[in-house]
Amino acid sequence: MAEVGEIIEGCRLPVLRRNQDNEDEWPLAEILSVKDISGRKLFYVHYIDFNKRLDEWVTHERLDLKKIQFPKKEAKTPTKNGLPGSRPGSPEREVPASAQASGKTLPIPVQITLRFNLPKEREAIPGGEPDQPLSSSSCLQPNHRSTKRKVEVVSPATPVPSETAPASVFPQNGAARRAVAAQPGRKRKSNCLGTDEDSQDSSDGIPSAPRMTGSLVSDRSHDDIVTRMKNIECIELGRHRLKPWYFSPYPQELTTLPVLYLCEFCLKYGRSLKCLQRHLTKCDLRHPPGNEIYRKGTISFFEIDGRKNKSYSQNLCLLAKCFLDHKTLYYGTDPFLFYVMTEYDCKGFHIVGYFSKEKESTEDYNVACILTLPPYQRRGYGKLLIEFSYELSKVEGKTGTPEKPLSDLGLLSYRSYWSQTILEILMGLKSESGERPQITINEISEITSIKKEDVISTLQYLNLINYYKGQYILTLSEDIVDGHERAMLKRLLRIDSKCLHFTPKDWSKRGKW
Amino acid sequence: MSKLSFRARALDAAKPLPIYRGKDMPDLNDCVSINRAVPQMPTGMEKEEESEHHLQRAISAQQVFREKKESMVIPVPEAESNVNYYNRLYKGEFKQPKQFIHIQPFNLDNEQPDYDMDSEDETLLNRLNRKMEIKPLQFEIMIDRLEKASSNQLVTLQEAKLLLNEDDYLIKAVYDYWVRKRKNCRGPSLIPQIKQEKRDGSTNNDPYVAFRRRTEKMQTRKNRKNDEASYEKMLKLRREFSRAITILEMIKRREKTKRELLHLTLEVVEKRYHLGDYGGEILNEVKISRSEKELYATPATLHNGNHHKVQECKTKHPHHLSLKEEASDVVRQKKKYPKKPKAEALITSQQPTPETLPVINKSDIKQYDFHSSDEDEFPQVLSPVSEPEEENDPDGPCAFRRRAGCQYYAPRLDQANHSCENSELADLDKLRYRHCLTTLTVPRRCIGFARRRIGRGGRVIMDRISTEHDPVLKQIDPEMLNSFSSSSQTIDFSSNFSRTNASSKHCENRLSLSEILSNIRSCRLQCFQPRLLNLQDSDSEECTSRKPGQTVNNKRVSAASVALLNTSKNGISGGITEEQFQTHQQQLVQMQRQQLAQLQQKQQSQHSSQQTHPKAQGSSTSDCMSKTLDSASAHFAASAVVSAPVPSRSEVAKEQNTGHNNINGVVQPSGTSKTLYSTNMALSSSPGISAVQLVRTVGHTTTNHLIPALCTSSPQTLPMNNSCLTNAVHLNNVSVVSPVNVHINTRTSAPSPTALKLATVAASMDRVPKVTPSSAISSIARENHEPERLGLNGIAETTVAMEVT
Repeated sequence: MAEVGEIIEGCRLPVLRRNQDNEDEWPLAEILSVKDISGRKLFYVHYIDFNKRLDEWVTHERLDLKKIQFPKKEAKTPTKNGLPGSRPGSPEREVPASAQASGKTLPIPVQITLRFNLPKEREAIPGGEPDQPLSSSSCLQPNHRSTKRKVEVVSPATPVPSETAPASVFPQNGAARRAVAAQPGRKRKSNCLGTDEDSQDSSDGIPSAPRMTGSLVSDRSHDDIVTRMKNIECIELGRHRLKPWYFSPYPQELTTLPVLYLCEFCLKYGRSLKCLQRHLTKCDLRHPPGNEIYRKGTISFFEIDGRKNKSYSQNLCLLAKCFLDHKTLYYGTDPFLFYVMTEYDCKGFHIVGYFSKEKESTEDYNVACILTLPPYQRRGYGKLLIEFSYELSKVEGKTGTPEKPLSDLGLLSYRSYWSQTILEILMGLKSESGERPQITINEISEITSIKKEDVISTLQYLNLINYYKGQYILTLSEDIVDGHERAMLKRLLRIDSKCLHFTPKDWSKRGKW
Repeated sequence: MSKLSFRARALDAAKPLPIYRGKDMPDLNDCVSINRAVPQMPTGMEKEEESEHHLQRAISAQQVFREKKESMVIPVPEAESNVNYYNRLYKGEFKQPKQFIHIQPFNLDNEQPDYDMDSEDETLLNRLNRKMEIKPLQFEIMIDRLEKASSNQLVTLQEAKLLLNEDDYLIKAVYDYWVRKRKNCRGPSLIPQIKQEKRDGSTNNDPYVAFRRRTEKMQTRKNRKNDEASYEKMLKLRREFSRAITILEMIKRREKTKRELLHLTLEVVEKRYHLGDYGGEILNEVKISRSEKELYATPATLHNGNHHKVQECKTKHPHHLSLKEEASDVVRQKKKYPKKPKAEALITSQQPTPETLPVINKSDIKQYDFHSSDEDEFPQVLSPVSEPEEENDPDGPCAFRRRAGCQYYAPRLDQANHSCENSELADLDKLRYRHCLTTLTVPRRCIGFARRRIGRGGRVIMDRISTEHDPVLKQIDPEMLNSFSSSSQTIDFSSNFSRTNASSKHCENRLSLSEILSNIRSCRLQCFQPRLLNLQDSDSEECTSRKPGQTVNNKRVSAASVALLNTSKNGISGGITEEQFQTHQQQLVQMQRQQLAQLQQKQQSQHSSQQTHPKAQGSSTSDCMSKTLDSASAHFAASAVVSAPVPSRSEVAKEQNTGHNNINGVVQPSGTSKTLYSTNMALSSSPGISAVQLVRTVGHTTTNHLIPALCTSSPQTLPMNNSCLTNAVHLNNVSVVSPVNVHINTRTSAPSPTALKLATVAASMDRVPKVTPSSAISSIARENHEPERLGLNGIAETTVAMEVT
């Protein structure tokens, strides 16, 4: 049993969490940061194998200190932190597998996790090698993160031989600093920068800027501890209070506020309700500051040019970044168009979601970032956004695909949309003159504007493609058909292409965006 | 899934996929696993995240239940949607316009202060309001201006006063408040702003810096690349266009030549018609000319497009002749011209026997068929007879291959000419043309029969051949025998001569070996020397005979006697040009030297020749003419003014000069197209001269000599000049003919039947066009010649053009 004071960044331990079913779980989590607010320690935890969006600040009461695993290096530097020799052995941290084997400490989800092809490191562990694999597996993630953090040049993929190496090589202090300070360093950097971190950061050398096309980053080499942690606690937007999921580069002085107030229409951020009030006296927008290109019922779409309306575009991006992990705001918004979906009521056109789109995409992207604001999620708006994006592609006469990487929710949404769209076509095919209906993948792609690869992956995902009598066939099984029909019954929100008033522009002829 | 017994084909996106539904769906066990055939598409997610627990759970749930269950949804942080003061905050209502909202750009920039007052400011405002009235907006504007005026450094009060158009007290109050608040502010500004990037790059990794400018380097580089590529493409395009232009020009030239040929053909047909030559008898009669015709035919074929081949054909002819005698020659020729063998075969087969004549005629006729392709061309030019020969003469691996960038010279017409001269004498010609009794100046001796040719680098090579006469010849002292003609060749000539001139000496020479010496003395001597004059003369004769070949028939028919010859000659004389004379003279001059002495002594005709000389040539009074002009001819020539091919004895250099002079004198009166060919002449003459200097021929230069001289000279002349030579030859012909007119040429004058025949043929060929009065003939002759010349020139040009391209 460790003391609360001993808990440092990099430690892993089960943390109490309430799941959707309102059940308490104790998934394994890693301490990413520790802060002291008026004498009360708060721990920023990342639940292993959970999405970052669930990371949160917790009090020590939710930590299962009995199962704490310290970063391995730390074991050798107990004295530095005044850690008692009571933890002489390097942290015998429980790996999910071993924990599972050993008992019920770990919540069910983790077990489920194991079922679904976890990374190898984790699978290897049940093999039962006590020390090495354990330590390596347990330390791998923190270490790999620390590697990223400290020497960002080193790619995360680089296998860092288990921490023994640095631990043994470095003098205790150094090791401690590397391991212990490394993780605190994250915090320190965000708060007051430690010298150690500074030097490390500066050693990055030439900063490599992300690619200039697209709006997503798959390269996480710059993903330091600051961006790993949510920095905005709460955002008030119209009637809604949003809990951001990820870091967003709002002005740093605003990150300490309990609530960030946004104007619902122009998305300007203010530090207080009073500010917002004042702002609203000056802001007469009641809809996104762009041209309405689609309206059906209460749903409207507005097109905003990232170059012509910078402040709104930037504000939108800042807000969106709170919910999009891979979105980068590194570069300006000039090369993008923003399509904001709104829902109208008597107060105005309220933003529901949006997607951005490169004016010129070299890779057939028809969507860069896409987001349904959390209050509107799981109500079909996401699919509506996706449908609209393909509707634009149809008008342009192109096929398109969303920019990668997809998020988990993005993948699910797109798969769902693709599945429903393709199934809709397949089931709508009438057999002509008694012959079996048939269709090519290219035809599906043309009809739907879904890129060919996505069509294939969807057919595969649905397991529709089979090889029969020397040729490929599409098989629509009963439950596929039933499932689709049920899903379509629920899908009430549809884009009506007749309501779209959109003329694609040839941006290549405009010189600059 | 059944085990994969074979590899399924790759999934083809363009191939229709039949859709099976419900009941008629085949048992999936019959279906083959396609895992390998259809590559698994990436999900598009980050690897790490893809394995996240909730996602996997959701995916599996979806796959199992075909729809999401509430509990299987990916959890997200909660959001509240119950801001109770919302209605108070967002006052008023907004009515949805009927039209789509279209925003005006300028609407976006309403000048409102970015600064939003907060509650702290409000207290200040309330306090200030006690003393003076200040509205929130006014306050915000003030703060806004202060903020925007100061970056890192705060504006001073003085500056603030300038900045703010307000009461001093108010300014002071607000300013002080602002400074205080600013100091307490953690941010860089009271107006929260997104961190800007710094130009020094220090903020490149600052996570709070956003919306950096894009440097657009990449695009420019891309463009530059494109420019380069497109530039190269344009260059290529231009190159190809210019090539197309060249080709078109060449086609144009070819078509022009075709047209000319057509006209000529027409003319021939007309002539034949007028002569009543329906059965082609006249054509057949002109056996002699056929070889010549062939030569001419080649130009015709040229029009068809393959100039090279035509040239090859020409060159082949001489080779045929030499074939039997010299293997070396043949070999050499083969190397040079891969297609020779065919032509050679043709000619050889044809020439010896009169039977071949018809064949030749056919080929002549065929000439006028225009063939577009090279392949077609040859078979027609070469009669079928040639085929077996070809087989005998396979080029094999040694076949000549035209080399790119290499310029091949035009064929040597001089050689060809020889072969063409007299069809009857074909056999003799072989020897004659090829080999002459040759003497060397250094060492001074007679080497017997030899042939000259130019080797690489312009070296003169003597191809010697053994004859029965060798032992006799060895005894010959070159000096003693100034004019010593090769046995066979001289014999031929002599025969001609004898016929024409009715001189018994020639006959003697040819028949008896022992009489060689005497023959030599009697001007039967064959010169090996490259006498241009002689060469050209002979050439000219040949040429003339050839060219008019077709017309010859006509002429022949009409004119069987000397009279004809005279007329024709007269006509010819009229056609003489400067160049013709020059070449003529050059050739003759050398011969003259040697001949004169002997001729004068022996021949009766000396006087006549002398007489003619003064007339024709101012400078050279030598008697050389006597030889060329037999007694009979001399008599005939009495009336003739023509300068004739009378060469003076003067030495080469002199001869040239004199020759020129003479020529000028003579030509001018008659001169028609002097200038045209002067250049050609000059070219041809110069090598000839040099050759002459190198080798001295012993032989006489009678008319007979002309031919051998030609033979010898031709090889000597540089290939470069070949084309020129041909022209010169033509000219020479004219000139040669002209003397004939006057004096009755050696040939023509000859009473002997064969000689007469030959002469007539030659004459007819030359002047074929006109049997009528000399003047008329001459004009026609010119006409005839000119197109031919043009054709030749054209050929030369075209060949060059071809190779250049």
